Amino acid sequence: MDLGLDVKERNGWAVLSVQGEVDVYTAPQFREQLIELVDQGQRSILVDLEGVEFLDSTGLGVLVGGLKRVRSHDGDLALVCTQRRILKVLEITGLTKVFTIHDSVDAAVSGNGRA
Amino acid sequence: MDRVVELEIPARPEFVGIVRMAVGALAGIRPGLAYERIDDLRIVVSEACTSAIEVLERQGILRLRCLDGPKTLEVRIEAPAAAFESAFPAGPSEVPEHDADSFRISLIRALVDDAELRSSAGGATELCLVLHRDAAAADDGADDDQTIGQG
Repeated sequence: MDLGLDVKERNGWAVLSVQGEVDVYTAPQFREQLIELVDQGQRSILVDLEGVEFLDSTGLGVLVGGLKRVRSHDGDLALVCTQRRILKVLEITGLTKVFTIHDSVDAAVSGNGRA
Repeated sequence: MDRVVELEIPARPEFVGIVRMAVGALAGIRPGLAYERIDDLRIVVSEACTSAIEVLERQGILRLRCLDGPKTLEVRIEAPAAAFESAFPAGPSEVPEHDADSFRISLIRALVDDAELRSSAGGATELCLVLHRDAAAADDGADDDQTIGQG
């Protein structure tokens, strides 16, 4: 089971696209990537979850850890997600109130389209 | 009649995906569980296995027993009692905010119809996760079983 992680720069955002299943096995790679982005000085991070096929509490913990880390440097971490099953997990855990969630990367980097 | 499927995996993170795949495939054999409900079960089983693996410190064996019946699908996960303490605290629960444990508790409680802890032999505990099949579709499934049984 592989986790795909790809980083691109868009309008001052570091866009981290995640592909595959995020669980106890793959979450460490995801965590390392977020830590690396913040350590590189990225302060606006957008995590694109559209390619995620599975996300459990371990992955949610990584997202919250990333948000705390970037906010400690006065930055922000937002999400792109329209998948119902992933949004359901975010809603149950109350994280839809914690993260800004956008409909698409384009909407997020242009400053429009909060879900 | 329940069909029983038993799984044993090394208590290591790389095997949790295999359990999700097996449980998801089993849940779809009989009618009566929508895809979304099967997805819910995959999440809860993953949460339970992750808890167990953490408590077992990634050593030993994790045992699961799936009882696939016409009206319910039940997954029993055996682990030391500490594995499920956070999800079923003995005293009044104070759920910590926004960490993986609190998310796990919320997901386990929200996504299955019943979740119950039972003692099993040797000081271990079984977490029993139950999904109820849609009644009309479950009846169709029961008819199918009878037909197969008579053949």
